[in-house]
Amino acid sequence: MLIWIRMAVREIKVNKGFSIFFVLNLAMGLAGFIGVQSFGRSLDRHLDKNLQEILTADLVLSASSPMAPEESALAATIMGRDVKRARLVAFYTMVRPGGSGDSNLQARLVRVMAIDKAYPLYGQFVMENNTLSPMIQKSPSLFMTRDTAHTLGVETDQRIPLRIGNKDFYVQDFFAEDPDKSLTAVDLAPKVYMGMDQLDGTGLIQFGSRIRYFYFYTFPQGTDVQALTRRLDSAFFDLSNGRPRINIFDTRDVNRQLGRVTEYFTGYLGLVGIVALFLAGLSGAYLFRGLVGLKQKEMAILSGLGAVSKEIYLFVSIQLVILGSLAAVLAVGISRLLLPAFPMIFKGLVPDGLIISMDPATVFLALGLGMGGSLVFCLPVFARLFTIRPGDLLQGINNGRGQNRGNASTALTMFAFLPGLIAFFLVSAIVAGSIKEGLIFALGFVVAMVLLSFTGSIVFQWCRYLSKRKMLGISGKIAFRNLFRNKWSSLSCFVTIAMGVFLISLIPQIQKGLASEIMRPEGLKLPVFFLVDIQDEQKNALEDFMAKQNGELSHISPMVRGRILKVNGHLFFDKSKRTGERNRPGRMGGRRLEFMFSYRKALADSETLVQGVPLTPTPWSFDDGIPFEISMAVSFADRHGFRIGDVLTFDVQGIPLEGKVKNLRKVRWNSFQPNFFMLFQDGVLNDAPKTHLGAVSNVPPDQRKILKNRLVDEFPNISVIDVTQTASTILGVTDRLSLSVRFMAWLAIGAGLVSIFSIARHEARKNRNQINLLKVLGCDFKTLQAVSLVEFGFIGFLASIFALALSMGFSLVISWYFFDSLWKFDSVYLFGILVSATGLCMVTGLAAARQVMKKRPLALLGKS
Amino acid sequence: MSLELEAVSKGFEQPGGGRIQVLDNADLSIKTGQTLAVVGQSGSGKTTLLSLVAGLDRPDEGKIFLDGKDLAAMGQDRLARYRAKKIGIVFQQFHLMPHLTAWENVSLPLEIHKANSINERVDSMLERVGLWQRRNHLPGQLSGGECQRVAIARALVVRPSLLLADEPTGNLDTGTGEIVADLLFDLVESEGKSLVLVTHNPELAGRCQSICSIQKGRLV
Repeated sequence: MLIWIRMAVREIKVNKGFSIFFVLNLAMGLAGFIGVQSFGRSLDRHLDKNLQEILTADLVLSASSPMAPEESALAATIMGRDVKRARLVAFYTMVRPGGSGDSNLQARLVRVMAIDKAYPLYGQFVMENNTLSPMIQKSPSLFMTRDTAHTLGVETDQRIPLRIGNKDFYVQDFFAEDPDKSLTAVDLAPKVYMGMDQLDGTGLIQFGSRIRYFYFYTFPQGTDVQALTRRLDSAFFDLSNGRPRINIFDTRDVNRQLGRVTEYFTGYLGLVGIVALFLAGLSGAYLFRGLVGLKQKEMAILSGLGAVSKEIYLFVSIQLVILGSLAAVLAVGISRLLLPAFPMIFKGLVPDGLIISMDPATVFLALGLGMGGSLVFCLPVFARLFTIRPGDLLQGINNGRGQNRGNASTALTMFAFLPGLIAFFLVSAIVAGSIKEGLIFALGFVVAMVLLSFTGSIVFQWCRYLSKRKMLGISGKIAFRNLFRNKWSSLSCFVTIAMGVFLISLIPQIQKGLASEIMRPEGLKLPVFFLVDIQDEQKNALEDFMAKQNGELSHISPMVRGRILKVNGHLFFDKSKRTGERNRPGRMGGRRLEFMFSYRKALADSETLVQGVPLTPTPWSFDDGIPFEISMAVSFADRHGFRIGDVLTFDVQGIPLEGKVKNLRKVRWNSFQPNFFMLFQDGVLNDAPKTHLGAVSNVPPDQRKILKNRLVDEFPNISVIDVTQTASTILGVTDRLSLSVRFMAWLAIGAGLVSIFSIARHEARKNRNQINLLKVLGCDFKTLQAVSLVEFGFIGFLASIFALALSMGFSLVISWYFFDSLWKFDSVYLFGILVSATGLCMVTGLAAARQVMKKRPLALLGKS
Repeated sequence: MSLELEAVSKGFEQPGGGRIQVLDNADLSIKTGQTLAVVGQSGSGKTTLLSLVAGLDRPDEGKIFLDGKDLAAMGQDRLARYRAKKIGIVFQQFHLMPHLTAWENVSLPLEIHKANSINERVDSMLERVGLWQRRNHLPGQLSGGECQRVAIARALVVRPSLLLADEPTGNLDTGTGEIVADLLFDLVESEGKSLVLVTHNPELAGRCQSICSIQKGRLV
């Protein structure tokens, strides 16, 4: 064993060029993957440690209306006496700086957090002037951040009143940190805290307002909170006769909720990281293949000296394991440099104070991937170790007999690819968190590779004919002949570059379509404002008001809150099916308790009927005795397993109603139009107490602030959501995420470029006799350079062209499947990728080949 | 040590189709300490015969016995070990490991076999081939004759019973070739080894106790 370790170390030292490139290449592939893993694990660790602080309690109850006395009594019975309580009422509303009347300051949407004295049970406010939270209970005062105050124009003058509803408030203090760590992908509005007692007089607590009431509880140490959660869940279920209206959260839900925000992106980044790793693995295998090609004679000598196959495999494996370990160590170093970028990328999506570090498990994972990955990827090359047999040493190496060892060797090589593919699938499934998604991803990747390999092999076959074209000159002739004769190495280069370009162009392609839709939905009028919480009695007044303003009020949609009780006679919340983990409404993938229903005479521009027939225009009547018709959004139906013909029983403000799914419609949610999961037949909700949702469009930019202020002055309870601002916020987030994904893709390209360099270097060394001969025959340096430029330029250009075409196809399919066919052709970006990828290939290839080209023929003769 | 070839045949498929018969019912017998030269035209099958005797290739028909053991009946790994212990091979192109020094090249087979007293045996062998002073040089830093002397030292250091030499002076100039040949025969004689020498060189062949020629696949 020791001899083989010594030999392996010696081999690594002797083949410095190979070793450096192999390590560098694999390290680049590993670095991104390890970085993403470290980020994910750091986030998990942070959540595990701070769950209670994030929840601000051990257990939270929440509902859209205050808890009824019997509900409170039930909760108190289950929780016992030894419990601490706090309360919070949260809702969105407009705040109007300067009080009522004209002011230059602009009205803004804020999230009001009305808290009682006991809030928070865990965590605390960090105030600039150390004001205590009970201070805001006594007077109409607010806590907010300096940023929020700045936006409202009251940062420097805290005497300016802030009108919320019908009441004026003043800034009491600025907080640097608040206890509420709940995170959403996009914050619609900044938070302002007020005392709960100060809600009186605002006039904002009225029917239809989208208010959440939160009840926080902490228990003595050692209390089994999860058991309490189960008991509460069951008790509320029974109390409501199977129609629960109270959400129950404990720390497990926080974990899930926060995890959900980032898991999609980390999952995706992780998958791109795997691709980078896979590409690096492929390049590494190619490098190794080149080395083995050069070392076959030495293997034969070793075999001739009595080394058995097992020992030679061991000798080679030790080399790979050592190189893989070195790559892992380097990758850990690189990813440590990458880690600080993650909080910046995920700003607003991850908790403040998150410390990202690398734990031993990640380092072991890196080592495992480095060592295992090296072996798995290079396995197909093992079959080539004995291409030259010891007997060939007697006959001269290049007698050709060694090249054809029959079908068994080919079959072995093909079989040796399997572990790599299986490993790729397994790692994909682990990172994606789902076997199905891992399989789809791995298959998609393999399909892309097969398509590119197939295309590449045809292209390099075609080079044979190009090499015979006289018009290409000597450089072109030699270059195309090289490409054809060395088609396997050309193909490796082609596939690696193409896969990198494919990734780089795929993500922005999808993002471009999405961004275009958000900013300017095709064929749709992008609203400027959303008006929320329009009371029924305000509707006509609002329409009259808007008729006199610069702006168009459209899409006024009635909204009625209600619950689904049964589906085809079975309870929507079936207690019997609930497991220990419970089918909890608050958890990811669980069921919501309440929904907004609406009705409209015709589908909106952003909706398309995809299944079933349009709803009957005749108004439905209670006296008909048949279920009314429902139009359901496809995504909603898919999530809950609803189908056309399903009969749903609803509770709409205490009245049981029965409807039947008549059609499914596709909704462009990204279009920022008022849309609903369920639309009821005309006549069902017309008389129900309701609020309205409206959209305002066609407001000139300079009139927006004035209109917003007037709206707030006239209708203080209506929340005005600035759609343009929200769209920009969303785009800001997608931009940052897209940047991170692109970074990972560039990492993949980086791995590809390292491989181009090493492949070019290897090819140049392999062809040094040819280069030497060309020099002796009178070829000047320029011609040799041209050969290299044509070779690598051709590979880069064609790889990019095919990869871009493929990425357009894939992005079209992904956009169609996930994003309602939002797709946009971005010729400038694609052209940029084409030019830069081709240029990079040429430069890299030339830089590598120059080392050999610059040598004098005599030096090369000596080596040959 | 005894070497017996019984009715050995070996042929090869031609790339364009067809088959070429290199050895046809060839018989051969060598006793301990005997030296034999195999001569013949290029492509007559000399090297094929050497490959078969070394156990580097297998006959299509017939049997090869080394010290009474049938080489064809052994598995690859066992054969490799057996060959390494019993047979030393000297190649025309030396086939040294390029990144190992002269000393390391000679020690390599002993290390593979986990032999005892490696240092002493290697030092002694390098002394005998006159390369002690050059022991730390890489093959690239040695002349052709020196490389072949390292190759001979490597072949003999394992103390094989049979030495196979394939044109050992073929890559050397006349003067150097003679020095190497002297060394080879001296060592074979002093250690009582059997030698099978494949060569085109009549003078070199003449230094062996017996000469056989391959004609139309048969040993004459």
